[in-house]
Amino acid sequence: MSPALHPALRIARKEAGELVLGLRGQLWLAVTTAVLSGFSLLLVGSIELSLLDNAQVVYDMAGLVTALGALLALISGIDAIGGERERGSLLPLLLAPVRRDSILAGKLGGPVAAWGVMLALAAPYFWAVGSTGQNMLAGMAALLALGTPVVLGFGFLGVALGARMQSARTALSVALTGLVLSASPVLLGPSLRQSAIGRVFDAVNPFSAALNGFDAVIIDSQGAIAQAGHAAVATAWLAITAWWAAAAIRRLSN
Amino acid sequence: MIDRIILVAFLAGAPWLAAMAAPPAASAAAETVAPHPAADLKVDLRPATGNPDAPRMGDRLAFRSTIRNAGTTPVDGLIAWLSLVQVDPGHEQPVDLEDWSAHKAIAVAALAPGAEITTAWPMRLIQSGRYRVVVSAVSRTGAALTPSRFVDFTVQPKPVVESGRVLPVALGVPALLLGGVLLRRRRS
Repeated sequence: MSPALHPALRIARKEAGELVLGLRGQLWLAVTTAVLSGFSLLLVGSIELSLLDNAQVVYDMAGLVTALGALLALISGIDAIGGERERGSLLPLLLAPVRRDSILAGKLGGPVAAWGVMLALAAPYFWAVGSTGQNMLAGMAALLALGTPVVLGFGFLGVALGARMQSARTALSVALTGLVLSASPVLLGPSLRQSAIGRVFDAVNPFSAALNGFDAVIIDSQGAIAQAGHAAVATAWLAITAWWAAAAIRRLSN
Repeated sequence: MIDRIILVAFLAGAPWLAAMAAPPAASAAAETVAPHPAADLKVDLRPATGNPDAPRMGDRLAFRSTIRNAGTTPVDGLIAWLSLVQVDPGHEQPVDLEDWSAHKAIAVAALAPGAEITTAWPMRLIQSGRYRVVVSAVSRTGAALTPSRFVDFTVQPKPVVESGRVLPVALGVPALLLGGVLLRRRRS
């Protein structure tokens, strides 16, 4: 383990502890499970569901978990810098003998831990709803492979916006607008995205890439290899936002 | 307007004007196939051996069709496709095969006299109910399609959401989370 990694790990542990075990994180996880429970309970008593209806539910659940994870990562990413600034604790952090890259890596510890807990909490719901249908395990694997870069990318985006904007509220409003736009395919079906603009939007939107990957794997029973294009878009999103967050942290003065 | 010109031209004894005003006759939508000796196709459809006796949702069935040219001339441009209809009382409807099968049609450039082509039609059973499946064949110039006999099958329902699984998870996970929070708060 590199010595330079220790401060990052320490920051990550602190961020993860505050986010997952703190009151805010606990409330967020409670909201997540409440949403998933409500969604699952809607299905109880449905006796005429086809296999595709069931697959559609698993697909919707994967999209829902990704959206909730992205929202949490975005908020905690903004709070990681913008919140520290407003609480007056950013300057001591910047003056500490810690590399900026280590600060960024550590600050991502919160969203990473929260996403891991969300995935763990979502697993029983997938089992309850999807184990009698099709492609449940493949769907969970797709959520892990495609949802993770999308969610962490929103975490990096939050860090970058929190660092670039002096007001955390402004950063939050900008970020939420972007997230709503990006996550709009959760509500808009594929048929509504078939226009030229919709296709371009789908091609560059990481959220669309994840959802289209879920659709292909869970509903259309396609193989993982066929999702390389979707994975490339999600990974590019992660790389771009990570680069932007790193640049914003390096320029940060207070 | 054009119709009026044609009518007036005919009435005026000027068929050349009517011909000029008339739209092109080769409208694809209005084209009818001239009577042609029907392609002498014989289409047979049978369930494949190994199909489950009482198929349930999620099972796979296969059917095997044999299309034979029983005539004396080659059949050009042969197309054959699978059709599925649901026949449950009150739910009679054609079924979109998109989700049931990736193999929905075949095309054969030419089928020589006496030759036959055998095709396997796999199918995944998506929804419960009573169904009839048929394979139809047409040629490029045949006047009518040639269907196989129907093959009937019934798909037994399978619960795709089991309340016995959903309820404990939907109620238990938030309860466990809440219990953990309360326990930690009490300890602290």
